[in-house]
Amino acid sequence: MSDPYRTRVTDALDAGCRFAGLYASAGGTVVRAAFVAPDGSIRLETAPVEAGRVPTIVDLAPAAGWDEREAADLYAIGFDGHEPLRPLVVHDLDLARWTVAVRGDDAYQIAVGPIHAGVIESGHFRFHVVGDRILQVDTRLFYKHRGLERAAEGRSLEDGLAYAMRACAACAVSNSVSYAHACEEALGLRPPPELARSRTILLELERTWSHLNDIAAICAGVGLAAGNTFFAALTERARRLNEMLTGHRFLFGSVQVGGSRLALDASNVAAACDEIAAISADSRSGWRDLLFNASFQDRLPGIGTVEAEDARSLGAVGPAARASGIDEDARSSSGRLAYDGFSPVAPHRVAGDAQARLEQRAIELLQSFELLAELLDRPLEPVAAERGDGERSVGIARVESPRGATLCAVEHGGGRIERLHLRTGSYANWPVVAHAAAGNLLPDFPLINKSFELCYACADR
Amino acid sequence: MLTLLRNLRRVRRELSLPAPERGRSLALRHVDAGSCNGCEHELTLASSPYYDIQRYGFGIVASPRHADVLLVTGTVTTRMREPLLAAYRAMPEPRRVVAVGDCALGRGVLALDSEIVGPVEAVLPVDLRIPGCPPSPATITNALIEFSDRTAAEAL
Repeated sequence: MSDPYRTRVTDALDAGCRFAGLYASAGGTVVRAAFVAPDGSIRLETAPVEAGRVPTIVDLAPAAGWDEREAADLYAIGFDGHEPLRPLVVHDLDLARWTVAVRGDDAYQIAVGPIHAGVIESGHFRFHVVGDRILQVDTRLFYKHRGLERAAEGRSLEDGLAYAMRACAACAVSNSVSYAHACEEALGLRPPPELARSRTILLELERTWSHLNDIAAICAGVGLAAGNTFFAALTERARRLNEMLTGHRFLFGSVQVGGSRLALDASNVAAACDEIAAISADSRSGWRDLLFNASFQDRLPGIGTVEAEDARSLGAVGPAARASGIDEDARSSSGRLAYDGFSPVAPHRVAGDAQARLEQRAIELLQSFELLAELLDRPLEPVAAERGDGERSVGIARVESPRGATLCAVEHGGGRIERLHLRTGSYANWPVVAHAAAGNLLPDFPLINKSFELCYACADR
Repeated sequence: MLTLLRNLRRVRRELSLPAPERGRSLALRHVDAGSCNGCEHELTLASSPYYDIQRYGFGIVASPRHADVLLVTGTVTTRMREPLLAAYRAMPEPRRVVAVGDCALGRGVLALDSEIVGPVEAVLPVDLRIPGCPPSPATITNALIEFSDRTAAEAL
């Protein structure tokens, strides 16, 4: 195994880098693997595809499993050593091709989805169980695959933003900012402090409504209607705040490539600070009630546990990773954003279970409220990016979305997109959900799933 | 728990939503045919204390077999065409289809042509169109109230 690509990947991992994404490019003639260094810088390793094949790195970085399966499906690339190479995006294949065989006395399968019982996105879960005990879950997503990355090819860098943003409404800002950063890196542009502040405000507004929504969802997963409706009401207030500030409840259209058109006058920022303080006070009060609700708290510990070691090797990101004891947050090393002095928070019990993931959201919310109060201390004017270092044909950036680090790669020629790749926090965490569910009871799966609260849309694209 | 319930009562009191005048109901089933998750998040909040669509007799039911209305979000992807049709076929008559959001209406859709079938009306007969990207919970609630009034008047 002296393949130069695998050697470089091994070197990157030995140097403390973590796997951050892998995609096929140049019409499937190369594969690029991204690694993030402890200082937040991104290292890209490229391998040529020869006779339709390239060596796998899934044994070195298990988190690359889904990425290689996607590249195999969309670009007909074979990954030597990745056995069995199950389909991910392609659906019209026999069950035996995409599920893990589970055999034994009383083992049987339960198929759930793609349509679910509530207002939920489409995706299919195949549970292998004995009685109520889950042995293995095969997740089949991509029912919502719209081919957004390929549809963006040939568009201008400005027009391409919509494809990243519309991948997912819940991560619209994170996806847009990661796209804008990738384009600006490719164009040799740097954001001045006010542009960084504008985007950081938008990212934290998105995290606020999203984390409030997630707490409501976990209450629903337990069946605590009072907690669910209370936090749903706070989610609504956060979305109304978004609309007041940007004209859109999901902050659509508030991010541009090469600058920002967002203007907030003194009365806007004052009203926003008041509303954030009010939402913060109500959310603290609601959180206290949840803490002292014994029947609610009894349902959470030991459910869907992910050990730190597993979280690391599976490539978990975001609140889910931090709840398992991985002290990583892309905000700590975001030179293009206004997160100076940021350090990630950790729950009291770093247990990697549903309770820890819930608490992680609650304490990150408090952090977001504080950040927003600091960032909204003065009006905001439209601002353009500054000329920085030289231009490149590949721009790559990583932004902490509410569900974890999102990587965006943009390859262009003459300002036209040749390849757009978006690897969202949800995409990174879906394999972790399946791992977390194994060994648990089937009726706990909705709670486990909601304790991650991942998007299907931005995994499917 | 008591504080939580008291807080909720306060929210409800402050909102002082008007009581509905009617006593009709429609059972709703949602199918995501390929959305960006925006319509789902707004549909979810239509059940929040700020809108509370249950007041008007609208409930989200777990099975299409219990549903009067199919709420479809998103542009219909090739992979969701069959599940969408299966849900529709499982519904009892009379059944109605509501296309929720611009993508479901075929407006401003971003996608690769080969991965999608088209708007909801390319697959199912559509009875009500709710535009918006995404439509707000207020827009969804108002459109459903008007729709239920219309279908009730037609039934008389």
